[in-house]
Amino acid sequence: MKNKNIKTTIGLLAIILIQFGCSKQLDLAPLSEVGDNGYYQNGEQIEEAVIAIYDGMQEIPLREFALTEMRSDNAESKNQEGDWAQFQSYTVEPTNLAVGSYWLANYNVIFRANKVIENLDVVESADDKAQFEGEALFARAMAHFNLVRAYGDVPLIDKVVIQTDEDYFSRVESSEVLAAIDADLASAATLLPASNSFGRATSGAANALLGKVRLTTKDYAGAKAALNEVTAYGLESNYRDVFYNEGNSEVIFAIRYSDDDANESQDFSYEMTALGVRAGLNYITADFTADLDTNELARKDVIYSPTNERECGKYLTQSSDNRLCGNDWIVIRYADVLLMRAEAIMGAADQTADQGAINSYNEVRQRAGMSLISAPDVLTKQALSEERRVELSYENHRFYDLVRFGYAQSVLTQHASNTGVNFSPTDLLLPIPQAEINVSNGKLTQNPGY
Amino acid sequence: MSRIKFKSSYQRLFGILLLLGSFVMQVTVAYGQNSVTGVVTNSSGSAIYGVTVLVKNSKVGTFTDENGKFAIDAKKGDALVFSFSGFKTVEVAVGDQNEIAVQMNESSESLDDVVVIGYGVQKRSNLTGSISKVKNKGLDQIPIARVDDALVGQVAGINIQQTNPSAGEAPNIRIRGQGSISFESFPLIVVDGIAVGSDADYLASIDMNDVESVEVLKDAASSAIYGSRGANGIIMITTKKGVEGPTKFSYNSFVGIKRVPKRDNVVPRLDDWLANNANNLESSDRYQYVSLLGEETKWDEVMFDGGMINSHSLAASGGTKNTKFRASLSYLNDEGVLLTDNYEKLNFRLNLDTRVSERVSFGVVLNPSHTEQRRFPIGVHDALRQHAWLPLYITEENIKYVNRFRENGRFADVKVGDYAMERMFDDFDLSAGQPDPNSAGTDLSGTSNQSALAKVLERDYRKYQTKIFTTAYLKVDITDNLFFKQNIGGDMKFTKNENWAGVLSSRNGAGGTSSSRATSDQVHAVSESTLNFNKTIKKVHSVSAVGGFAFESWNRNRSEIEANGFSNDLIQTIPASNVTAAVATKSEEALVSALSRLNYSYDDKYLLSLSARWDGSSKFGPDNKFAFFPAVSLGWNMAREDFMKSFAFVSEFKLRGSYGLSGSNAGIGEYDYIGLIQPVGTALDGSNIGYNPINISNSALGWEKLKETNFGFELGLYKNRFGISFDIYNRTSSDLLLNLPVPSVTGFNSALVNKGVVENNGFELELIARPIQSRRINWTTSALFTRNENTLVDFAGASGLLSSVDDKRPANWIAQEGNPISSFYGYVISGEQIDPSYLAESAWPIGGQSQDIYVKDLNGDGVIDTDDQTILGDPYPDLIWSWNNTITFANFDFTMMWQGSHGAQVRNISSQYINNEFSGRQDYTSDFPDADKVVQRIFTNDDIQDAEYIALRNLNVGYTFGRSMLNKAKISGLRVYIAAQNLVYLMSDGYTGYNPEGVDLNNDAERNPLTYGYQRRTAPIYRTFSLGVNLNF
Repeated sequence: MKNKNIKTTIGLLAIILIQFGCSKQLDLAPLSEVGDNGYYQNGEQIEEAVIAIYDGMQEIPLREFALTEMRSDNAESKNQEGDWAQFQSYTVEPTNLAVGSYWLANYNVIFRANKVIENLDVVESADDKAQFEGEALFARAMAHFNLVRAYGDVPLIDKVVIQTDEDYFSRVESSEVLAAIDADLASAATLLPASNSFGRATSGAANALLGKVRLTTKDYAGAKAALNEVTAYGLESNYRDVFYNEGNSEVIFAIRYSDDDANESQDFSYEMTALGVRAGLNYITADFTADLDTNELARKDVIYSPTNERECGKYLTQSSDNRLCGNDWIVIRYADVLLMRAEAIMGAADQTADQGAINSYNEVRQRAGMSLISAPDVLTKQALSEERRVELSYENHRFYDLVRFGYAQSVLTQHASNTGVNFSPTDLLLPIPQAEINVSNGKLTQNPGY
Repeated sequence: MSRIKFKSSYQRLFGILLLLGSFVMQVTVAYGQNSVTGVVTNSSGSAIYGVTVLVKNSKVGTFTDENGKFAIDAKKGDALVFSFSGFKTVEVAVGDQNEIAVQMNESSESLDDVVVIGYGVQKRSNLTGSISKVKNKGLDQIPIARVDDALVGQVAGINIQQTNPSAGEAPNIRIRGQGSISFESFPLIVVDGIAVGSDADYLASIDMNDVESVEVLKDAASSAIYGSRGANGIIMITTKKGVEGPTKFSYNSFVGIKRVPKRDNVVPRLDDWLANNANNLESSDRYQYVSLLGEETKWDEVMFDGGMINSHSLAASGGTKNTKFRASLSYLNDEGVLLTDNYEKLNFRLNLDTRVSERVSFGVVLNPSHTEQRRFPIGVHDALRQHAWLPLYITEENIKYVNRFRENGRFADVKVGDYAMERMFDDFDLSAGQPDPNSAGTDLSGTSNQSALAKVLERDYRKYQTKIFTTAYLKVDITDNLFFKQNIGGDMKFTKNENWAGVLSSRNGAGGTSSSRATSDQVHAVSESTLNFNKTIKKVHSVSAVGGFAFESWNRNRSEIEANGFSNDLIQTIPASNVTAAVATKSEEALVSALSRLNYSYDDKYLLSLSARWDGSSKFGPDNKFAFFPAVSLGWNMAREDFMKSFAFVSEFKLRGSYGLSGSNAGIGEYDYIGLIQPVGTALDGSNIGYNPINISNSALGWEKLKETNFGFELGLYKNRFGISFDIYNRTSSDLLLNLPVPSVTGFNSALVNKGVVENNGFELELIARPIQSRRINWTTSALFTRNENTLVDFAGASGLLSSVDDKRPANWIAQEGNPISSFYGYVISGEQIDPSYLAESAWPIGGQSQDIYVKDLNGDGVIDTDDQTILGDPYPDLIWSWNNTITFANFDFTMMWQGSHGAQVRNISSQYINNEFSGRQDYTSDFPDADKVVQRIFTNDDIQDAEYIALRNLNVGYTFGRSMLNKAKISGLRVYIAAQNLVYLMSDGYTGYNPEGVDLNNDAERNPLTYGYQRRTAPIYRTFSLGVNLNF
């Protein structure tokens, strides 16, 4: 009997010990992700981190049109529901979800870029290293530029920061942010190759964007110099092909998407139609249509959707699922560069007789089948602005063009009055997202008027 | 005459069952030569069938037959022990007589006496924690599909809310309030000792007929023995076990009709609109066109088509002294009250216990189940928002109104039998009496959407779930006071979601089609080894202790394929060419634990319980992998003191207090403490896969902690004819696993941290009385009251955070310290409506109302801006109560439960759809002067409605046939009943929906406690009438 008890006891102890042995199993490694300790070790992994930047960029254009076109005299929402009504009525709330997601999308790209910049040392090939650094700097600059134009003074993030780095939460003077953007792009222009896989940054893209940054800071000479470096591009002969022949030589930088892919498709094409979940965003305003020159034929055909004269026709999807659209988002193209070149030459003046400026302008007009300027006529700032409005319509330039040209106050006040709403100067900047202010420990302040 | 007729039909009915009865006969024990015979009856004199009769201290035993008779070998001086489930055990000494008549008394308390407490049981009178026990007395007769739905109103301190009562859908359960800010506050479910997880699915796979009892562990001292998973309370389900005796069968069945009670104030009717002569409606083109069209659809009646529910459950139970079993098979089908929703459940269970030798026993539980749910594919608000003039289908009569010219001939091919769509009827030329070819006629449509009927019928969303729950134990009695128990068990869950949306399911046609398959499986294995010690020393020191180790592991797999762009409905599975996304992932989790508890009582007067658990989990960072969860509770059975003897009417008076620390690891991912890098795609050419961090790593990530103090007393008067039980508690949840919003400059907008404090304070009061207790009439009545107050104490610097779930209806919630975790936030309406003369379309659409409304300038600065917003209410009830009555009168029994909830609000946004609040600023006349004094209704308290209700939840009238009638057919029990659920359901006047309990919980944003209380998609409250039978043979 005693023996039996001992055996039983040993057996039971064995069972208990087996379970103790199991505690090793508490250290489980993830099976469907990689733990971060073992990453960023070699050139290949850094390139994968670079590609991740382009994945992050895909978030930026999704609702950017609401923050830009729908806040200008170009576009509005069909139903004026919820957050979407706020842009056209200049009553944007700090809690507006699109305002918050745009902020996050851009800082996420900056985070991804900084992650690359901080881990570059492991890249052995000097060429690769220069290219990766240039791509990261370009992305970081582009995102900061988006932010500084939309929100004004914003945090300038030039390293990977964590939630305890409170010094980085504060807003930095927009001039300082723009200077940092200028520096990033200038470096990127020298580091980047002239050509790259379509959709990845090139020296041309860096220079083109740098031109726009310098126009914004009124560094016209600098802008001209940068824009003059953008040479490897030309206008498509057919305006439609700019949008429907992806990868054409007019496109200097685009954010790419593919059709019918739940992860790599965009839905702005869908939301810009009446079928969209929000039942029609970025609708063409009566103001735009009234302003359009009656001679516009080639461009009008593309700008307006063939099935609905209030929908924009530049991004009509070819996908089988109309919610998973593959149309690329063109960030900058050669027609923009040509018009910027004219703008740089004109500088602070209201007009220019410079032939280089007029030639650039005429090149864009000619493709559209529109009348040209010939001496002794001069190119006026007004004409340049009007041309940008039509040529680059619904490409998210209008609002910032109005600001840069100094027309925003008068044009938008008039537009607001026409539509029965109020525009005030503080509406030139969007509110800082309320959630960001709430978690900044008092470092982030709201823009005036909100 | 009628009596004879009744008897003959009854005989015919049960003649069929004689066949089954003969099977029972084979199992009964053969009699030997016996010296003692007798009969066993209950208190009302009826024979009891299957009573175990044992000669004490011997192995001689038998059972009573269907007439209550027994015969046994026994001699003078022996003691006979009579035992039977549900009755007090009786011991009778054998004297000179050889005929013994034994009366056994039913003891409702005898089962209640023991409470399952987690790794053990305890006498109720010695309980020191806050645990409620619900015996399955009639819960299986409530005509519903789920175990959790049956518990409504049965336990104080638990809120079971019918957030979306479509067929098979789980209610939302909270025990003592919402404790967590970011993650699950769903209680832990423990079935027959195995912790299956915080998972409502398990409550769907159990047949209520198999349930013996449900214990709800409420305070931390009781739940601490479950350590890191106890903080949200524990629901412990104990299933029925085999009972020694001849094999008995029971068949329980009900069939019911479910209907949605009509509501007048929700869906606008055409008549109301036509009858409204304001604003010269009659002369309007639309009025004339609607009259001409002459159609009316009552969309609520179309969508709420009602349904049947039926349930069949057959169980067999019996066994010898050494081996007992219970096996059951059940089937349930609930058609749901919505169009197309349906739920089917098939469930099998085997409980087997056997004694191998005097000291060794083992047992197994096996419970496979399968459920199939067809879900209502769209939100209920979406189903009801169609205009009343819209017909369901195109008919010979209405086809002439279809405009074939519109939208580039989109409707050119419409034919009789097609779904009718609002846009088809636009642009009608009234003067010409035909559709206008130039799109210039009268418009009626309010939406470009496909007809709601097509949206429902052309989609097929199904969820299949197969679960296998199993556990086996080995028990070794090492000494008389010490036993070892090894449990090995686990559960496997296979889930498949199949969704199909066909070509006609949306306005997008082929572009809107989709097919998806999502499968997931989980294998959860448990091993628990415990040593248990029970001893009473010197008659007064009673000690019971348990200690042991446990190891649990989980393996999870998930895969999903999505496909779009089907040009027709012929193939609804997924051809490779249509795939738009595919993903497969897997993960693992492990938990290692040591647990112990000591219960001590001195003379059953002074009670002490100490427990401790150490948990180590793979989910947490190296700094916090292990945690310790101690608890202590004390009790004093004052009524047993000598000084209380003079108060003889006090039959029970116990004071108790507890303090415990419990935890939660629910809802967080397996690897969240690690910084994870995931492959991400791009649309670039060539190498287009990148790798990117998806979270901020936090090696210090650890458990959520719950500290709870609980005081209570139980008072029983006049032999417990009147009883009061009271608990008051403070629950402080801290180190909350919080997806704390962080500045997006980090690249992320949230990081998982342990921060924040939430308090729940409240009390629970249970009153019970047995006013009438006589031989023929018994009346038991009880009332439960639950009060809970939820407070966000510390939000780690994010106090005042505004959150929203939807950019189209971006109404806000605020999380502000000093208030509940989530409060509705927005403007306060002034009560003044916009004068219809300023609305461009004042009487359109039907039942429509303006999108905007005047609001108060709360801060009086003359401007309406965000500073005029305030807290508008919260979704947490202040008081929940129920009132239960059971009356038995002769062979009739009657139960009735009323239940109510007060103090909660809900953001009922469905009126925005149903009342077509889409006429925005563009629809004002140009002279509207107050555009800056109005805001959209969804931002105001116009949509914040009282969610209180009072319901007659259950009403049940049964008749039990007398035994004398049944014995001939070998039937030991037969009861038939009729029941009604929600026969009365009173809602607040200001509530304009179909379900004040409804809360949308369809996606992560809606499930997030920071934005809890949004209502638009949820199914209506329904009423059920049912007939049932309980048959034992």
